[in-house]
Amino acid sequence: MRFNSLAFLVFLPLFAAGYWVTAGRLRLWLMLVASVVFYAWWDWRFVFLLLFSSLVDYSLGILLGNERDDAVRRRLIVLSVAVNLGLLGFFKYFNFFVASAAELSRSLGLPASYNTLNIVLPVGISFYVFKTMSYTIDVYRRTEKAERDLLRFTTFVVFFPELVAGPIVRASRMLPQLRRDHRFSYERMVSGLTLVASGYVRKVAIADSIAPLVDVRFAHPEAHNAMSLLIGVYLYAFQIYCDFSGYSSIAIGLARVFGFDFGINFDRPYFSRGFSEFWMRWHISLSSWLRDYLYIPLGGNRGGRLATVRNLSVTMLLGGLWHGASWTFVVWGALHGLYLVLQRFLAPYYQRVIHVLRVPALASDVFLIAVVFHLTCFGWIFFRAGTFANAWQVLSGIISIRSLGLGDIDNRGRILKCVVMIAVLLAFEAATLLPKRRQAGLAAVPGDQVALSAFASDASPLLRLAFIAACVWVLLIFGSFSGNNFIYFQF
Amino acid sequence: MTDTRSALIWFVALIGLVFAGDRMFAWALDQVLLRSQFRYSRLYRGGNAADVLILGDSRGVHSFYAPAIEELTGLRTLNLSYNSMSTRIAEAILLDYLDHNRAPRMVIVEVTSTITDGAVASELRTYAGFSSRLSSLYAEGHPYGAFAGRAFHLFPLNSGFSLEALHYWHRSDQDWINRSPMPQALRHEPAGAWSLPRQDNLEALNRIVRVLRERGVEVRLVVAPYWPEPLNVAELARMVSVSVRHVEPDSRILNYAGAVRDPDDFADRVHLNERGSRQLLAIMNRDGVFAIHPPTAR
Repeated sequence: MRFNSLAFLVFLPLFAAGYWVTAGRLRLWLMLVASVVFYAWWDWRFVFLLLFSSLVDYSLGILLGNERDDAVRRRLIVLSVAVNLGLLGFFKYFNFFVASAAELSRSLGLPASYNTLNIVLPVGISFYVFKTMSYTIDVYRRTEKAERDLLRFTTFVVFFPELVAGPIVRASRMLPQLRRDHRFSYERMVSGLTLVASGYVRKVAIADSIAPLVDVRFAHPEAHNAMSLLIGVYLYAFQIYCDFSGYSSIAIGLARVFGFDFGINFDRPYFSRGFSEFWMRWHISLSSWLRDYLYIPLGGNRGGRLATVRNLSVTMLLGGLWHGASWTFVVWGALHGLYLVLQRFLAPYYQRVIHVLRVPALASDVFLIAVVFHLTCFGWIFFRAGTFANAWQVLSGIISIRSLGLGDIDNRGRILKCVVMIAVLLAFEAATLLPKRRQAGLAAVPGDQVALSAFASDASPLLRLAFIAACVWVLLIFGSFSGNNFIYFQF
Repeated sequence: MTDTRSALIWFVALIGLVFAGDRMFAWALDQVLLRSQFRYSRLYRGGNAADVLILGDSRGVHSFYAPAIEELTGLRTLNLSYNSMSTRIAEAILLDYLDHNRAPRMVIVEVTSTITDGAVASELRTYAGFSSRLSSLYAEGHPYGAFAGRAFHLFPLNSGFSLEALHYWHRSDQDWINRSPMPQALRHEPAGAWSLPRQDNLEALNRIVRVLRERGVEVRLVVAPYWPEPLNVAELARMVSVSVRHVEPDSRILNYAGAVRDPDDFADRVHLNERGSRQLLAIMNRDGVFAIHPPTAR
């Protein structure tokens, strides 16, 4: 079930009514059953996979919690990781690896014939596998106690707001919240609905309005001039941002209405002044997961320059591959790895130049933001293109500078509409960066999602009403109601 | 006050505010819409006194360049064609035009719009508030959208037409036409067969002809040029002709499908560009099509 579907409009009030009239284990059962229905709406067969994954990690968690022998514990954690990555590997990467191996054999002149399987990618598998895997790793590290209540554990895994596209809420955050009943709170409801409304505006009004403009440019790059393709790439940067941050806002907002705190997943990423900052602001739950369960265990930045380069590269390559079974995602990850490495080495020189030339901090920030944004857009070309050939067509179309005029560009009205909405969004985000607002305390709760909910908590009742009503009006007049999927569902 | 009561009051206030704002903004935007120079805003604002009206789909838009007709004939011309506009929708547009404006002296219908299924109806919801005909056509294909439009008056304004109306706020849209020549890749494709007319569109065309004849308005039924001429264009013209003769035995189809032969005069295989349109209109003028008397069959 999608958040932007009619079915969800029926599902949500029913769930809310049931949620607030139940308590204790009955409420947990309701959350579990409702979440299973939510997931099964897409394909009921994969509910069993979801429950299997939960059951395996629940059992291994208990065994890890009970076991004192380190050697046995190591075998148990290896088993957990193997099962989780095995599921992911089979459903997401089997065909990719088989096809890539065959391609490699062929390029080496060896005979290569292969068969791929008709495998359907279960929605959200990348998210729930990472969630359960981090749980067993935490139990193995003894930073988290094993959860002995199967109902509670399964509810943690399947809770519908974050099930299919994150954020990846870890057990250490979620399980304690599932151990107590949440009473209805007017403040939390308003705060949550503010996030939900803003999430829908991002997804339905901005991302879905941009989608057809981007699709047509990537489908037929040869039919567009350089300026048109450039506009397509810029628009995609905001499509994917609004699509995913919109989903996250809805998920976080819904959870907040029901008393849960998921944390934040986006924090104005396109205002980043560097790539390490970008990854602290973009898909925060994934980047912190990769940091804690991959980068730091690999050694992080503790082993000298070469080791740091290796660790960054491996982390970002795998982060790229996590997004999809395609070499274009690997290249996207590799690019970000390269950006991080270059930043690490160039930053001291840049600081020295800025100091010598006495460049004002604001000018330096604007320059860095522009550089990071454009390099990010370059990466998005590979992320969006299905193939290298497609990416190259787009790139060569831009580089050729066939025509930089706006005259031949179709749909200028629709482009203008998207640009205006993006400008409003960025203005809102920039406003939370202003020094005055920082002094007022917003810096303590940075992030578009948290800044919004801080607004929802602190603003006058009339202002809060007006904000949500304005979101509804924007949706009515600018929304795209074709029921587009969220981009991150495919990951 | 308990949290539950606060929430209930808050929800009621929110619903009230949403609906009040919806009505207020929709009314204001409707006023903006009606003041635009976009063709349908002009239609529903009324007061037009066009001598020649053009009806059709995108082929109607790009074949009959209104400024060129005015230059050639001195007749005030209004092109009401639009991309994907079926003849059924054209009928509603024409009848609304006659309700709000002085009847034209001549109506040119590009008859290959009889093959169109009317996807543009979803856009026309923007003007459905001004027309019961458009409203029912939209509701026929989009029952949920029509319901949403009745509940929220802003929703019908969520369309490309609203953006067009803003774009043409101060200037006429009648000079909208393709200007680039056909890409080389399209020039060498062999001729194919196109869809044949839909029965509902043929019936609508019959009604258009009958209404116009009853009002003494000249009707020209035209097949505009293709590149290359479709294999079954004669069959299409024959089907339209047979259908229309039920209501008007003297009706002729003016078949200009092969009248323009230079690919540089086309923007693609089915649309002329400005140069091609001017050439077609010159031929039609020479043939006496714009004379206000029965035309000579070609």
